[in-house]
Amino acid sequence: MKLDFAFIWTAFLQLLTAVPTALAITVVSVSCGLLIGTTVAIIRLYKIPVLHPIAASYVTFIRGTPMLTHLLLIYFGLPIIVDGISEALGLSFRSVSIPMIGFAYISFSITAGAYMSEVVRSGLLAVNRGQIEAAYSIGMTTSQAMRRIILPQAFSASLPNLSNSVIGMLHGSTLAFTVSVVDINAKAQIVASTNWKFFEAYLAAALIFWGLTFIIERLTALAEKRFNLYNRGGVS
Amino acid sequence: MGEPFDISYVFEYLVKLLPTLKITLLIVVSSIVIGLGVGFIVALPQLYKIPILRRFSQVYLSFFRGTPILIQLFLFYYGLPEILKLVNLDVAKVPAIYFVILTYALHSGAYMAEMIRAAVGAVDRGQVEAAYSVGMNGFQAFTRIVLPQAMAIAIPVFANLVIANLKDTSLAFSLGIMEMTGKSQTLAVMSRHFVETYISLAIIYFVISFGLEKLFHLLERKLLKHERRITTDVKEQLVKLGKTKRSLLGFGYSRGGRENEA
Amino acid sequence: MIKLTQIKKSFGRNEVLKGIDLTVKKGEVVAILGPSGSGKTTLLRCINYLEKPSDGQITIDEFTVNYKRPDKKDIHTLRQKSAMVFQQYNLFKHKTALENVMEGLLIVKKLPKEKARQISVELLDKVGLGNKLDAYPSELSGGQQQRVGIARALALNPEVILFDEPTSALDPELVGEVLGVIRKIAKEGITMIIVTHEMSFAQDVANHVVFMDGGVIVEEGNPSQIFNNPKEERTKQFFKRITPDGVYSI
Repeated sequence: MKLDFAFIWTAFLQLLTAVPTALAITVVSVSCGLLIGTTVAIIRLYKIPVLHPIAASYVTFIRGTPMLTHLLLIYFGLPIIVDGISEALGLSFRSVSIPMIGFAYISFSITAGAYMSEVVRSGLLAVNRGQIEAAYSIGMTTSQAMRRIILPQAFSASLPNLSNSVIGMLHGSTLAFTVSVVDINAKAQIVASTNWKFFEAYLAAALIFWGLTFIIERLTALAEKRFNLYNRGGVS
Repeated sequence: MGEPFDISYVFEYLVKLLPTLKITLLIVVSSIVIGLGVGFIVALPQLYKIPILRRFSQVYLSFFRGTPILIQLFLFYYGLPEILKLVNLDVAKVPAIYFVILTYALHSGAYMAEMIRAAVGAVDRGQVEAAYSVGMNGFQAFTRIVLPQAMAIAIPVFANLVIANLKDTSLAFSLGIMEMTGKSQTLAVMSRHFVETYISLAIIYFVISFGLEKLFHLLERKLLKHERRITTDVKEQLVKLGKTKRSLLGFGYSRGGRENEA
Repeated sequence: MIKLTQIKKSFGRNEVLKGIDLTVKKGEVVAILGPSGSGKTTLLRCINYLEKPSDGQITIDEFTVNYKRPDKKDIHTLRQKSAMVFQQYNLFKHKTALENVMEGLLIVKKLPKEKARQISVELLDKVGLGNKLDAYPSELSGGQQQRVGIARALALNPEVILFDEPTSALDPELVGEVLGVIRKIAKEGITMIIVTHEMSFAQDVANHVVFMDGGVIVEEGNPSQIFNNPKEERTKQFFKRITPDGVYSI
């Protein structure tokens, strides 16, 4: 075997052009997922009637099925729903005008939401009950206590999980190729298809992901240092 | 883009997909078994702090957890034959499924290693000391005292890994493996009933992972029979395990986290 | 007989044991006293090699290990000649009381199962737990767990049993039952080394008292001599601090 190092470099450079797509998918799905996840977590923690069982089944279903099936279901199912609704309402909007990457955004956000709800929930549970009582004792309202006392502590408690979620979504973005989005994985196929040097192309792809993952982990470590300042001391 | 939605197809495709479940399970079971072995080998240098091997373990873990499984699948599928050619081994005719199993095994191996390390670390140091104090040697202390306790601690994490592995096998279709997802794609394209097919597919995955979860829950209860009243002690250990081994709490399509169920 | 010669131990730069010499005769009950941080627990753990001494030599029953260059087999033999009762009990959590006592007999002494069971049942009876054979540690009180720990140590029939503050993790009302058991076996002539804070117990049970401070043995002798008539200033100070008005309590 002769490993074509020059081509690994060429492939690496070409693959870099697909990095923004991967990052966009990651950022969108993580942010929307966080929003969905926080809502779901609060619904479940406060056991809000009617919504509570729905939220629970959503989380159970999503976590019990592969991310790929979510994408396929959204990609093929959403147009039927969208077109049905807009037809019924007499709107001119049709699903064909949704860009391919839109399906990836929607589907991955739904996936991320279920996992994020667990991250948020465990973060909230990690905050000592006494904290909210202390907040009440100085006259804060529930939402004040939530915003000023509970959430900041929950956030720093769930930073490691959060970082894993981000890495999970980054790696998950490679699925977007199934709906014809040119992400890093699809780009590797394209780059290699001219000269059949798939191994080299995928080596370059692996290196890019490895690097991105490493960066996320470093950033998390920095953030942990920054946010856990108050947590210092104790036995160690 | 397809035929109009008709719920009756869901059941029909369910029946058509079920036979391919055995390929999915074949991949899951063999890669988990091999992965456990790999995990042990990778974890040992870390548990016993063996100087140079420890570095190798770290790089191994970092690579397999730092790159997507899909990329790994392609990398091994295209790369392994090339590398094996160097030692005059021609694997061009070896079916793709072996590459798939190997990749999943190496991938799970990294997570298994983390699991083993965490679980062993969660066993109280006093247990080993007590084993030594009654005259056991290191091997006896590990196999008779530490391992059984570590196994009970590791069950929830192990359950996660198996279920995550099951979900990950849905990517094997990209190398042309006719497991459930691969089969469903063929069915969908042929019949144009995309949504119905994929609903059937999702149902099967869901039932299996749900069943597995319940099964592991029973197993955990059985292994933890010595904790008839779950003491804060073990709860603490579990929390510690969850906290320090964050990768296992992970997430995404590749690693699900369900530590905080209940 | 147990003979410790020039046992030294440092944690980093901090020298915890500064050359301990101690001889324990067969059948003697030794109580090691001293303020916390004096190195008494470390010394005990060194005897069983749970702590690796930096230097020194130990002889138990004609068997000598030089801590400078111990080989694995020596350590193993040494450990078989001693048994330990831990402050935190350290019962095997996944095994019942009976299994805890049997474990060493089966695995280390390689006794047949029936024999091991018979010995273990007898010993558990002796420590008053004949009715708790199948209980897991999580189902036992601290005092009961510690009594299982003592039975586990006794089962191995060691040359010496080492007690590392056996009652200090217990609720006050459970201390009595454990001390009672130790008192009982002390009368049977088993060699014991006990690190303890229970002064009245030490005075009552021990026939050899060692007072340690700052990593050295300050003074040793028979109980009445050490308790009633200590020679060293540091020993006097220690007793004065913990037993004001002559009342033995902590």
